[in-house]
Formats: sequence, structure tokens, C-alpha cells
Amino acid sequence: MRYVKLPSGNFEDFFNSLRGIGQIYGPVKEGKTHHFRRVEEAGEMDLKYTRTMLPPKKFFVRPRERLFSLEDGWWRKEGDENPFVLFGVHSCDVHALKILDRVYLSEPVDPYYAERRKSAFIVGISCLPDELCFCKSLGTHFAMDGFDLFLHELPDGWLVRIGSVRGHEVVWENARLFDEVSDEDIANFKAFEERRAEAFKRELRSEGLADTLDLAYNSPVWKEYAEKCLACGNCNLVCPTCRCYEVCDRWVDAYRAVRERRYDSCFMESHGLVAGGHNFRPTRLDRFRHRYYCKSYFDPSAGFNCVGCGRCDEFCPAGIEHVKVLDEIRGSLE
Amino acid sequence: MNPYESHPARILEVKDLTPREKLFTLRFLDEKLNEEFTFRPGQFVIVDVPGFGEFPISLCSSPTRSPIQLCIRKAGRMTKFIHGMKEGSVVGIRGPYGNGFPMEDMEGSNLILVAGGLGMAPLRSVLWYALDTGRYEHVWLFYGTKAYEDILFRDEVLHLLKHGSAMNCTVKLAYEIESPSCIYLEQGFSDRVCRGVVTDLFRGENFDIENSYALICGPPIMYRFVIRELLNRKLSPGRIYMTLERRMRCGVGKCGHCVVGTSVSMKYICQDGPVFTYWDALSTRGLI
Repeated sequence: MRYVKLPSGNFEDFFNSLRGIGQIYGPVKEGKTHHFRRVEEAGEMDLKYTRTMLPPKKFFVRPRERLFSLEDGWWRKEGDENPFVLFGVHSCDVHALKILDRVYLSEPVDPYYAERRKSAFIVGISCLPDELCFCKSLGTHFAMDGFDLFLHELPDGWLVRIGSVRGHEVVWENARLFDEVSDEDIANFKAFEERRAEAFKRELRSEGLADTLDLAYNSPVWKEYAEKCLACGNCNLVCPTCRCYEVCDRWVDAYRAVRERRYDSCFMESHGLVAGGHNFRPTRLDRFRHRYYCKSYFDPSAGFNCVGCGRCDEFCPAGIEHVKVLDEIRGSLE
Repeated sequence: MNPYESHPARILEVKDLTPREKLFTLRFLDEKLNEEFTFRPGQFVIVDVPGFGEFPISLCSSPTRSPIQLCIRKAGRMTKFIHGMKEGSVVGIRGPYGNGFPMEDMEGSNLILVAGGLGMAPLRSVLWYALDTGRYEHVWLFYGTKAYEDILFRDEVLHLLKHGSAMNCTVKLAYEIESPSCIYLEQGFSDRVCRGVVTDLFRGENFDIENSYALICGPPIMYRFVIRELLNRKLSPGRIYMTLERRMRCGVGKCGHCVVGTSVSMKYICQDGPVFTYWDALSTRGLI
């Protein structure tokens, strides 16, 4: 990997240089929460954020998107993507995008997702965890790839890791803004990462988790939490790796129809319903358990389906905590 | 290529099978596609009625015969709509999807097809494939139905009931509701037609279990009883194939509706299935 330094004084110029790529989206504080919004000036962003409400998946798997429009009795594909910059993505969210890639870019490739992925220039940014983050226990607290540039905070600027050819190009084109990395910068980078590693308060015991959960299928803890859960589906919406969608045709007016897909949630009763009314996950307990099993799915080549961002905890109206549920399930076996 | 894009196909024929099910015969408008389209018994397609929606349906015709046929039960909004469509109308078809039955692996063996109700549709594909190719030792079809009027592909089933032995095929029927037609059938074929459930049809049959495969399709409740019967006869869990149903939206492993299993074994019914062995069911929770 190539490393360069972006001095603090050049940050705004660097930000402005990215306009050449396309529209820039970054974390903006609104009320108590942060959101990825379209930004015109670097100053609009709040880069010292912990997590946004909706993760960057909203740019790739949209909450609602048109797949086709009906013209002259048959479908015409929708969507032409303009290049855009996603500024300030945390490493857990970079990992989450890689999980989405595994699904949407595997054969057959989802063309809508693939086009957006190609159109996106991703600038990662380092962060400090709060009491809900548990990405370290899942190994998603540091991204080795999946970004174009990654900025790590230094006392007097940013250490930039270059993760793609396009990232190289941006740095070459703006060479005047970057310095070589000094020994002092490396020492600062190391110190920052060590301080960060120590700052995690929450830990998910991930060893053997998949098997442990499988063995605890009938644990009474599931029932206890399913009764507490409101089945609102918030956790699905804010989860950076939840990707279930529903497809529906909608008439725009008497002559035109569109086929859309929108986020769906495995907490909805309709999720496991089939024609004729049989439901494969009829109770809230079934649905609650299903989500935890899905998030804890372990792929030997890619890890868990959860990146430890803490969103499901922060935005759960019933105050259910992911790690606590899994710990109690594990505890019920011991 | 856009995997969500369907190809226009004309409805050549609509035939009433029962009061609830119709048989649709379809042909793609694109001639090249008609030539190229092939599938394995047990695979499904997604039918697209532009402006109304899509739904998954098993192919009930055999790849050895064209054109393609779909047996559609009026079960919801979409299927009710397509039941109202006439010959000459155009719908979209995309697929085929899923794994299908491993027909090549089973060559030279006995096939025990166990169908319950609408489960006859995908197994009809297997049945005709097996009889057309003649690559299988003997084919049994055990078909459980509610009433005489509910027998899907009645002409074909009754024809095989009478003349199947010439094709190394034994058809047996179980019905729940008594009617004059059923009693008449039972009188004619007392060894092969009875009032009861589909597992009753196993009585009196001796299979060469080492050389047999069972292929099951029916309502969820049926699997437990049929599998118990097969296991009692010492059929290996790896030789029991079942085709399963879920709410498949995309058909290509993206939308997540058909995901089953737990953290150690998650499966997409649309891609990893819809055909699974009983062994898969033993190692994947929630499969059946």
C-alpha cells in the first residue's frame, strides 16, 4: 500500500479537488444524529462522528429504487449513474459494503448495484469507538481494502492510505497537496491506532459463535427477548449489511407503471409468507431468532454478516442490545 | 445482462385442470430463445405480468417436450390475475432458476415420486422426463389428493394408472373425500387406489431400497410423514429429495426472502434449492 500525508491546511483544497469526480456526500449532523448528505463545502461535514443513522448502503441498495418503467407494454431498464464521492466512511461500513458486494456482485451480478459501486469513489476516515461499537471483536475495525483513499487522523493532518488505482490517480493529480510520510507521522499513526484499540468498551465473543447459536436454538432467552422486541424492523433498516428487498409494480398514472424495489424487513409477518397463506416464520420468536442467525452467519472466507457498528442498538426503541442478547444466549448454554 | 429482465412469452393455451388450477402453455416471442431454453425437472421460472407483478412457479412440463407449461393455482392477487388471461396474451418469463433434481445421478435407479396436491406439478416434469428418456429402472408415482376433482393432469394420471406398467411405471392414488368417481376407480384398481393419505400407498410395496431414490413435493405437513415412512424402509437421507417453497422474489439469491437456516448453514432456497435432500434438512434448521 502507498501512504502519503495530507497536511491540515490542505484539507479543504483536497475536498474541493474531489468535486471533479462528481457530487460529494459526507456525514452531516442533524439534530442528535448524523446522516450522509450531499455537501458543497468541507465545513458542512462533521468528521468526528461515530455512526450515521442509515449506513452507506443507502447509496448502493436504495431504500426505494426503480428497476424498470413500463413503456409501450414492455419494460425499459431504469437508472443511469453519475459518479459520486462518498466522503468519511468508517472502516466497519467499508467492511459492510464488502459483505454487500459478496451478495450483489456474485453471479448473476445485480446491474443496478454494480453500476453504483463503479460510480462511487470512497474516502474512508478513522474514528474512535463509543460504548456501542464492537467492530474490534469482529475484525472490522480496520479496513485493508474496499476504499479508494483512507484518511487517518494525525495531530497536524491526515495519513492517507491509497487503496485503488483511482485513489492513486487522485493523489497524482493533486500531488502538490500531499507530503511524504515522515517517521513522526508513522509514530503518531501507530499511537492513534493503539489508543483506539484500547478505547473499545464492548466486546462480542465471536469464537465458536455460529455453532453456539445453532446449539442454543431452543434457548428460553430467545423467547424473553422476542417478547420485548417491538418487531418494528428498525434494526433491519439501519443495519449496514441487511439487504432484503421487496419488489412491487406501481402505476404512476393511467398509462405508466414502474417496477420498484424497496427495503424489506425479516421482522414483518409477510417476510416468510407464501402463496396460499402458509407462513414459514409465523411468530415473532421465529423472526427475532432468524435475524440473529442471519447476522451471525459465518463465512470462512469473509467472516460474519455483522460488522459491529452498533446501529441496531442505538436505534432499537426497545433498547435491545445485540451483544447482550448473544452473550445471554451463550450463557444459557454454559 | 440484467437478471431481473423477463422475456415476453405468448400464452398459447389455457386449460382448466381443476376449479383452482389452470395449465398455461407458453412460447417465447423470441424464436432463438425457444430453441435455447432448456431446464432441469424441479427448476422454476418467475412469471412477470408487467404492471401487476411477478411470482415464482415450477415448470411442470418436461425438458424433453416443448413448449413449456406452468400449472398455476389461484392462490393470491397475482395468480388470480393471470387466471383471467386468455390465449394470445403476453406475459414475461425469466429463469430457469434453482438447482432442479439431479436426474443424471439417478439414472439406472428406481424413482419413487411422492406428490401431495399441487406438488404433482413439479413432479410431472420428473415423471415425463423419466418416461421419455427411459433411463430409469422403474418409476412409482404416489399421489395424494383431496378429491377426484382435484386430481391434477387427471387424464395423464389415469392413463398411467391403466397403462403405466408397459412403461415400467406404477401409479397409485390416495383420496380423502369419497365420491362416485373415486369409488369407481377404487373398484377398478383396488390395489392402487384407496381412501386415505399418501403414506398409505406405500403399503404392499417392496422397493429395492439400495437402488432407489425418493422425490417428494407437497404441502409442508406431508414431508414429515412421508420421510418417516421412507426412513423406516431404510432409505438413506441422501437419497430422499424434496422440492421446497418459499417467497422467492428475485430468484437469484439477492432479495433474501427465501433464506433459511442458522448461522452455521444458511441457504437460499432459490439458488441452493428448491431441491434439497433430507440430509440437507437434517443439517439446516427451518428447511422443512
